[in-house]
This record gives sequence, structure tokens and C-alpha cells, in this order.
Amino acid sequence: MGFRIFGESMQTIQAIIVDDEDLARSIIREYLAEHAEIQIVAECSNGFEAVKAATELKPDLVFLDVQMPKLNGFEVLELIERDLVVIFVTAYEQYAVKAFEVHAVDYLLKPFSRERFDEALVRAEEKLARREVLPSAEIIKATRSKGETVERILVRDGSRVFVIPAEKIDYIEAQDDYVAIKSEGTLRLKKQRLADLETLLDAKRFVRIHRSYILNVERLARIELYAKDSRMAILKDGTQLQVSRTGYDKLKALL
Amino acid sequence: MHPILANQERLGIYLLGWLIFGTMLAAVLALSHDFSWTEALALALPITIVYGAICLSTWYVCRVYPLQKTPFSQVLLVQTLAGIVTIVLWMMIASGWVLILERSFGFTGLRTRVLAKAPLLIGVDFILYGLTVAVHYLIITFELSKEAEQRELQSRIFAQEAELKALRAQINPHFLFNSLNSISALATQDPAAVRAMTLRLADFLRKSLRLGAQESIRLDEEVSMSISFLEIEQIRYGSRLKIVQKIDDVCRNCLVPPLILQPLIENAVHHGIAHMLDGGTITLESEWRGSVLHIKIENPVDPDRPRNRKGGLGLENVSKRLRAIYKDDARLQAEERDNIFHTDLWIPAQTSTEFHRSSPAPTFSKVTEQHG
Repeated sequence: MGFRIFGESMQTIQAIIVDDEDLARSIIREYLAEHAEIQIVAECSNGFEAVKAATELKPDLVFLDVQMPKLNGFEVLELIERDLVVIFVTAYEQYAVKAFEVHAVDYLLKPFSRERFDEALVRAEEKLARREVLPSAEIIKATRSKGETVERILVRDGSRVFVIPAEKIDYIEAQDDYVAIKSEGTLRLKKQRLADLETLLDAKRFVRIHRSYILNVERLARIELYAKDSRMAILKDGTQLQVSRTGYDKLKALL
Repeated sequence: MHPILANQERLGIYLLGWLIFGTMLAAVLALSHDFSWTEALALALPITIVYGAICLSTWYVCRVYPLQKTPFSQVLLVQTLAGIVTIVLWMMIASGWVLILERSFGFTGLRTRVLAKAPLLIGVDFILYGLTVAVHYLIITFELSKEAEQRELQSRIFAQEAELKALRAQINPHFLFNSLNSISALATQDPAAVRAMTLRLADFLRKSLRLGAQESIRLDEEVSMSISFLEIEQIRYGSRLKIVQKIDDVCRNCLVPPLILQPLIENAVHHGIAHMLDGGTITLESEWRGSVLHIKIENPVDPDRPRNRKGGLGLENVSKRLRAIYKDDARLQAEERDNIFHTDLWIPAQTSTEFHRSSPAPTFSKVTEQHG
């Protein structure tokens, strides 16, 4: 299932509408018809489509619902890793604070009037005119509430999105600016620091056993002494991971 | 707390009453020419006020033997005994006072003159004691009725609050906001659809308000409410939401608590269908087995969907309500098998408004899986 593409033009503001309800998208389309400067380049009905459209079409503006199949609005933003102007459109008030933390220009509560919608557009156009650039890392950080652990990790490969449930992760390895996530026999790369990821995962299950490794303790078979102060974690599938001294202490404390 | 001692105004009126009695008694004594006015007042006023103070203790007797719950003969006996004790106590204090008056104030021969009036004094005291008892019983009755009124008012407020809370918990406001957004979108595209949607919404709201206020409703009504809800959601979700209902005709007259299915149906939509790219079918089934009504809801779920506690809360509320109504005779079970979420509800099958406990139903167990 793909998204619809409505043609291209460089002079106008390119926008995508992301909402899983046809009717909810249609009202934005209707309000936008009055604005010749804005061109709808895609309409998406779920998170995956939104990520694909945003990475391939590089729109300037996105109208984003929060609750959608596959990925919610915040997860979509996290995966896009691009600076773009966001107007959230939702029936829920409780995401407003988080929306402004990820630098959304406005937050429209359904149902909304044409006047309110135009107000949001003015803000969006002002922001686009100023060409404010936001570091995507900041957005990613803001999409995760403090103290909240994630139950799944999202990885984007080009315009494809992979959802890795936390319980299916074997271990995570640091690789320069990336982390490699081993799950169900495949390694997937995600641009994130291991230390940042460590704080997001459930500490009862995931242990930083080494500068370069986070281990899902449920995969651990045994620990072998390898050299003085150096140990090896042997996973159930036979994988061997180095365990540092502090990592060993942390494992001991948990098991 | 003592109703007279605790209230200054009442205590004032009470003592004033005794002051008047005392003056009247003094007048009676003085007018009999056996006492001078000074003697009569010096004697009668203090002992009457003291008697009034002693009589306050009547309240404790009245409280232990409330008029409403004690046979009248017993009240009469107890109060007579208490009266005698009170008067004996008072006579001792009064004779002390007479001695003091005689010796320290020079009222000569007071004792003999008072003794001559003893039957009068005791008679008057008995009458006054009876009056005090009556006043105390009056106050107690008054306070009881006031308390009962307050209690009733309070319980009415509690009941209303609970009702509102239940309704709020059962009808998700976001459902309304999203529906209004659909209406707003349809307004310029399809006026006939706007009308259909508003009618469906009105129908659903009216049903839930009317039926939600009742203690129990027929399964038929409950199901029709769920279907109304789903039909509104169908306008939002379009072809993504399909409904299948298999309700056994014999079950239709079974009684269920109103809006008991609503949170479950809402879960099926918001945690099930809403996360499916191509949607799916919600199946609502019911059958009557022996003495148990079994209601089944099935909906597809996305195994990768984000999990949160909201659906769990809905299930928890239903569990709590079932437990409050049926104790251990009802059971709710929710579990995910092969990407299908199964919600099963067993409740005692009842067809009349009269609550009767049927033979043991499957035992109540905790929800096995939280709806994501």
C-alpha cells in the first residue's frame, strides 16, 4: 500500500497529511484548498506511510495525527530525523506538552474551525520563512518522556521501518555513531548512542555489560572467566560477548 | 456530645427555664406564709438550678434507651428509677444547702419548715424530671431525623457522583470529539451523511443515558447500544471496521448491568481495529449455558502495537463492577491468542428484575492479559 503523490513544485510549501481517518484528512484537504501556496504532496493513513513519504518526498510541512496504526505521531517524527514544520492534529489534549517539546508549531484539537486552522498555518509559514533548523537529535530525545521505558525500538532503513519489540532483542552493540541491534537472527543499525538507548530500556532486563554491549539477560546462558578481570558472556545461541568488571558486578546484582 | 451542653444557646434556654421554675417554686413557698420571700428565693433558686444541672444527665439514660427501640413499659420503668435516684441525690444536696442556710445565714428553723414541704418539693421535682426527659427525647428525635436527612442527601450525592463517574468512564470523551470532527468534515461533502451521523450519535447518547441509570437492562438493549456505538465508529473508520453479531435469541431477555460491554467494545476498536492497517472484524457473540450467560468479544490485534495500560483500566473497571454486583459468580477473562484478542464474560443468567443467585458460575479470576 503506497501513499498518493500529487505532483511537485518548488515554489510552494509542500505538505503531507497524516491521519488514519479519511474524513479527518478530508477536512484538512478542504481547508488547504483556499491556500494556493500550499501543495499537498501526499496523504498517509498510517505511521509507516508517513515515514516513507517524509523521507522520500522531503515535505516542508506535516499535519500529524498522534494515534495511528503501526507508529504514533511522535514515533514518526523520531524516525524521520529531518527538520520539518509539524502541526499536530488530534482529539487528545494530553499530548500538547510533548508536542511543544518536539517543537511543533501548533496543536489543533479536533474538531477545529477554519479560522483556527489558518492561524496554525500562519505560524507554520512564519517558521518556514525564518528557516529555523532544529537538530534532529534534540527532537529524538524529546519524543521520549523521561523515566519512561520503551517496549519497542524503531529502526528506519531508507524509507522502510522495522519495529523491534524489546523482548525480542538479544543484545545491542555500539558501532561508532550507531547501535547494532541483534534480534531474531538479524542485525539492524540505528543512529543512536548506546548510552542514550541504555536509559530507555527496562533496567530489569537490559544490562550494560561492557562499554560496547547491552545484553538482554534472558538470553544469557552462562558466564566464563576469560582472563584476569575479564569475562565472557555466553548467550543461548552461542554468541560470546565481552563482560567488563563493572558489567559483571551489575549482572551479579541483577541475577 | 450532649446536645444541650454542646450548644450554648440551648444551654442558656435550658437554664433560663429552670430559673423560672425556681422563681415559681419560691413564690409558692413564700405565698404559703411559712417562708419570707428572702428565705424562699435563697432556698428555691439554687436548689432548682442544681437540680436542673443534675437532670442534664438524663440524656445519657435517654440515649441508652431510645424511645424508638425500647418498649414503652421499659422506658417508664428505667426513667422512674433514674428519676428516683436523681431526686435522692438532689435531696442530699438540698438538705446540705438548707443546713448551710440555717447555720451561716441565720434562717432559724428552716429545716423543720422545709421538711413540712418535702412532699410538695418531691412531687414538683418528679414532674420536672418527667418534663426534662420529654425535652431530651424530643431533642434526640429531632437530631436523629436531621442526621437521617443528611445521610440520605449524602448518599444521593454519592450515588449521582458514582453514576456520572461510571458514565464518564464508559463513554470516552475522545470518541465524541472524533465523531464531531467527522461531522465537521462531512458538513461540506455530504449533508445526508451529517444527518445520519448526528442521528446515530443522539441515539447512542440517549440510550446510554437512559439505560445507564438503570440497575440492569436486557442484553438485547445492551447489544443494541454497542452496535449503535460501532455504527458511529464505522463512519470514522470506514471499511476498516466490520461487525458480526451472533446473539442467541434465548439470551436476549437476560439481564446485564448497563454499559458493561461498552468499555470492552471500545477496547476492541481502539486497541484492536485502530492499529490494523486494513482493519478487521469485531465479533460479538452470546450464548446461554445452563445457568450462565456467556458473552464473547473477538477482535484482531497487531502484535507490534504499542502497549499501554489504558485498555487494562477498562477491563479492570468491568471486573470491579462485576465483582460488586455478582461477587464471585461472574468472571471476566481477556487474552490474546494468535493475534486475536478474546474477551470472555460469564455472568449468572437472570431474566427477571428480582435478583436471585443461581448455581455456582465459574470462579472469578484476575484478568490474564492486559489489553494493549
